[in-house]
Amino acid sequence: MTLSHTAIQSDRKKQQYLEIAVPLLSFGVSLIGVLLWQMGMEINFQFFSFGCVLGSCILAYLAWIRPKKDIVALSTPIYAFIFFVVPTDFISGLYLQLLYALSLTLLLIRLKYRFGTCHTAVSRGLELAVPLKTYIEKTCDAFTGISPEPAHRAAVVISQFSTGEYGQAAHAAGSVAGQETSPALSRAFAIVHEHATVLEHSLARPEPYLVFLPEDESLLAKIPAPAYSEDRKFDTQLDNALLILFGAAWHGSEADRPHLLACQTFLLKLLNE
Amino acid sequence: MKIGNIEVKVSNISIAVFVFFTISLILASQYSAEVRSNLIWMIPALFMLLVIPVALNYMSRSQYVDLVPEYERLAKTVRVKLINENMIGKVVRIEGVVERVHFQFLNRPQFSVADRSGAISVKMFTSPDENIKVNDVVEVLGQVIRRYMVTGDPVINCVSIRKKNAQASDD
Repeated sequence: MTLSHTAIQSDRKKQQYLEIAVPLLSFGVSLIGVLLWQMGMEINFQFFSFGCVLGSCILAYLAWIRPKKDIVALSTPIYAFIFFVVPTDFISGLYLQLLYALSLTLLLIRLKYRFGTCHTAVSRGLELAVPLKTYIEKTCDAFTGISPEPAHRAAVVISQFSTGEYGQAAHAAGSVAGQETSPALSRAFAIVHEHATVLEHSLARPEPYLVFLPEDESLLAKIPAPAYSEDRKFDTQLDNALLILFGAAWHGSEADRPHLLACQTFLLKLLNE
Repeated sequence: MKIGNIEVKVSNISIAVFVFFTISLILASQYSAEVRSNLIWMIPALFMLLVIPVALNYMSRSQYVDLVPEYERLAKTVRVKLINENMIGKVVRIEGVVERVHFQFLNRPQFSVADRSGAISVKMFTSPDENIKVNDVVEVLGQVIRRYMVTGDPVINCVSIRKKNAQASDD
C-alpha cells in the first residue's frame, strides 16, 4: 500500500468521525442543557446552541472538502449565527435547537447521498480513473518502448489542448511531423494539429478531414458508428487522437505523468460518450 | 425601455416590490394622518424602488455591451465537451440548444446549453438582449469560471447570448 493510499484511508476515518460529530454535538449539547435545567442549574439556554453552531461548521467543512460542493451545507454556519445570536427563553430555545439539529442531520444525509464521497486518489490527481486505466492497459503493447521525445511532445500537446491554448497545441503537434514515431501516433499528431488549427481560428470543419486508418482500430477508444453525422465523426477523430497521445505520453514519458493526471477530468470527458 | 442605445429591463421582482409598497402606501395613507404628512418623501422613496434597479441594470448592461467586441475578438469556438477546469479564465464561444432557464425573473438568468457533445451551465449577471427560451438555438460568448468562483465545476460567465435563428434571419 502506498503512502498516499494510507493518507487517504486515514482521511476517510477522520471524516467518518466528523460525520458522527454533527448530530452528536448538535443534539448532545442541547440535551446536556436540558439535563442541567432539570437539575436546577438555570444557565442561559442560548449557551447550549454552541453545539449546533459547531455542528454546522463541521457540516460546512465536510461539504467544502468534497469535489462536488453543496451550497446549502456550506452556508449552514451563517444560518446558525442568524438563528442563535438572538437570546431566547428555555422552551423556544430548546425547540429551535432541536429543529436545527434535525435539519443538520438531514443535510448531512443529503450531503452523503447526493454529493458523493469525499476526495479519492482519483479526484486528488494521485491515480488514474478506472476507464483511463483500462484504456492505458489496452494501448500498453503499442506504446511500450516508444522514444521519450515524441512521448513528451504528446504530453505537452495534451496539456496545451486541455488549457485551450489551441495555437500552441497546433504548433507542438505540427513539430512532430519529421520525427520517427509509430504511424498511428503520427496520424494522431496530425489530427490534433488539424483540429487545434480549426479551433484556434474558429474555422468550419475542413472537407475532407484527416481520419484514422482501419489498422489503427485496436488503439481507438471510440469507433465512430456509420450512423453518426459528419460533425460527430469529425469530433470522434479528435477524441481518439488525444487519447492516443495520452497513451503514448503515459507509457513513454514517466516524468510527465503528474501533468497527465492534472488533465484527467478532461481526458475522461473525451472517453465518455 | 431604451436609454441611449441600451435596452434596459426591470426584473419582475423589482416591479412586484414597487407594486406591493405602492398599495401599502395608498392603504396606509387612507388610515394614518402621520403617513399622509410624510408623503412628500415617501413617494420619491417609492419611485427609488424602481429607479435604482433601472440604473443598476443600465450600468451592467452598458458594461456588457462594451465587453462584447473584446470577447468577440478573443473567443474561440469550442464544443462543450472541451471545456474543463484547466480552461478557467479562457474566453469561449459555444453554440447549442437551451435546455433549461432559471432565475430570469431576477434578471440573473442561468441557462443550461447543450451541443452534440454535452451540456454546460451558462450564468449571466444581467438581463440578456433577447428573450431566451427553452429550445432556442443560441450562440454564447463568455468566460470559463468556477461555479462558486473559487470552487466547483466549470461554467460559463456569459457576456452575450444570442438566438442563432434570429441572427440568420437578420442576415
